[in-house]
Amino acid sequence: MNQFTFDSRLKTFLIGFMVLGLVCLGLTFAVDDDLHTRFWTNYLHNTVFFTGIALMSLFTIAAFTTAWGGWFVLVKRVWEAFSLFLVPGLVLMLLVIVGIWGHFHHLYHWADAEAVAADPVLLGKSSFLNPGWYTFGTLIIVGLWIFFAFKLRQLSVDEDANGTPDFEHHKKIRIWSAAFLPLAGFSSAAVIWQWVMSIDAHWYSTLFAWYTGASWFVSAMALTILTVIYMKSRGYLEHVTIEHLHDIGKYMFAFSIFWAYLWFSQFMLIWYANVGEETVYFLERRENYPVLFYGNLILNFVAPFFILMRNDTKRKYGTLVFTSVVVLFGHWWDFFQMIKPGARATAMEALAHHAGEHGHDAAAHGEMLSTQLPFAMGFTIPGLLELGTGLGFLALFMYVAFDRMSKASLVPKKDPYLAESLQHHVEIHEEGAH
Amino acid sequence: MSNQNKDVLYGLYDDEQVLLKAVDKANAGHLEIMDVFTPFPVHGLDPKLGLEESRLHIAGFVFGALGTLTAFLFMTWVFTRDWPIIFGGKPYWSVPAFIPITFELTVLFASVGMVVTFYTICGMAPGITNPTLDDRITDDKFCIAFDVTGAEEAQKDKLKGFFTASGASEVNMKTI
Repeated sequence: MNQFTFDSRLKTFLIGFMVLGLVCLGLTFAVDDDLHTRFWTNYLHNTVFFTGIALMSLFTIAAFTTAWGGWFVLVKRVWEAFSLFLVPGLVLMLLVIVGIWGHFHHLYHWADAEAVAADPVLLGKSSFLNPGWYTFGTLIIVGLWIFFAFKLRQLSVDEDANGTPDFEHHKKIRIWSAAFLPLAGFSSAAVIWQWVMSIDAHWYSTLFAWYTGASWFVSAMALTILTVIYMKSRGYLEHVTIEHLHDIGKYMFAFSIFWAYLWFSQFMLIWYANVGEETVYFLERRENYPVLFYGNLILNFVAPFFILMRNDTKRKYGTLVFTSVVVLFGHWWDFFQMIKPGARATAMEALAHHAGEHGHDAAAHGEMLSTQLPFAMGFTIPGLLELGTGLGFLALFMYVAFDRMSKASLVPKKDPYLAESLQHHVEIHEEGAH
Repeated sequence: MSNQNKDVLYGLYDDEQVLLKAVDKANAGHLEIMDVFTPFPVHGLDPKLGLEESRLHIAGFVFGALGTLTAFLFMTWVFTRDWPIIFGGKPYWSVPAFIPITFELTVLFASVGMVVTFYTICGMAPGITNPTLDDRITDDKFCIAFDVTGAEEAQKDKLKGFFTASGASEVNMKTI
């Protein structure tokens, strides 16, 4: 079946989870501290995570097209649908922006004008870390991604109906894809500095953008595998075989190792140099958030590395689905541990400041970080409310994706590489079952 | 490598699809193929020839794990027992500092170990030359070879007939 029907049963199912997500967000808001830190961090965490998956899906299409790849053509419509989540992603980010201007939240230390004035480090960064740049950067950059996502989608769908024998559409897709790659590389770094890295406003790492990019990419591959297997179980995407899934599984495996490499490169240089203003980031996480810190490595490196190392685990639905769920959750966990400790410290400092207990200076900030923090559900580990919110966002993401998939043929009928994708074969030792 | 020379009757094909069909035909006619030579791995050929999957990667894993252990245990011994030195105020047993070297030795052991294993299995070593049937099988020809040592003329004629019928572009005899 080439035409996906987004039936009402699936819609109801996804809407149910979205309602669950909303209820969880509401409950979080109700049980929160005065600054609603848990609510806002959960909101930002999921928004950034799923917008990143949409960006990486677009990046994947662009990269594979530029590399003259043909095998992925049958999966292309899934990635196109994923990439269109950038639109809701930007809308969701707008609420964070409104929150900054309206002082509804205290996620970013640099957004507090009073704190910046008294802090030479923040003052030095204030030409980039300020509400104006945050707003402008988010709008322009995500807007640019949306433009490219629409352009590639529109050309690809139009090719189905009006494709010509000299592949005019494909030539245009190739040009737009090649133009998108460097843009995506630099712009994703700029937004991730603003969205996530600036939560620990004093701290910085030049590897951070690569590390989060790898995290997003692995998540995008895991979600692709889960979606494709679901679609196949419903009788769609029948031409996508285990050969295609094997290749996507290889990407998941390879980029899990790449992620671990970047994680360790970032960690080791900071550990080795032992400069206080850099080590504070890891010290905070290792001492106060050990479950997040070590769990991150187990979920995102140890598990996929040992499970997917064998050839046959990438060719079986059971192991593929299991690993995809683990790493999708794992990278969600990874973003959780990037966001929560810094935002919590910022909020604690602000609350203490409002209560008039501490003077607002850099020394108080340092003191706050070095003290042993008590266990706090939703910060030390993700609680049930975080899981519910995450599932709600996932349901929203999948709702948008399924809706987009139902709007076009699942097979790009006139793509010049369609025949190559249909015959895609990676395994020499075939067992005949597939 | 056995010292006894073999008489080999072989046919050359121009295309891998023709070759695959020829192998099917040979299997159907119960002709015992000695070996098939191709310039690149042809998908679907191995099962037709009844070849099992290589176990070289298991050796690779074992060598790799050996490299991991060697590097890690050696550094542990050096820096905690043999010659403890404080570097940059770090503890003697500084695991993060060991990781890059452990990684490098894992890769080194796995790759060198696999090469040596592969050469040993294939009977290759410096100074040993392996005879080739035809140099073009490393370029653009696909070859099916039959061992016809001591075979009767009738058998050879049957094989020649098979080559002609299955689309071989050339049929040759060679003693290797």
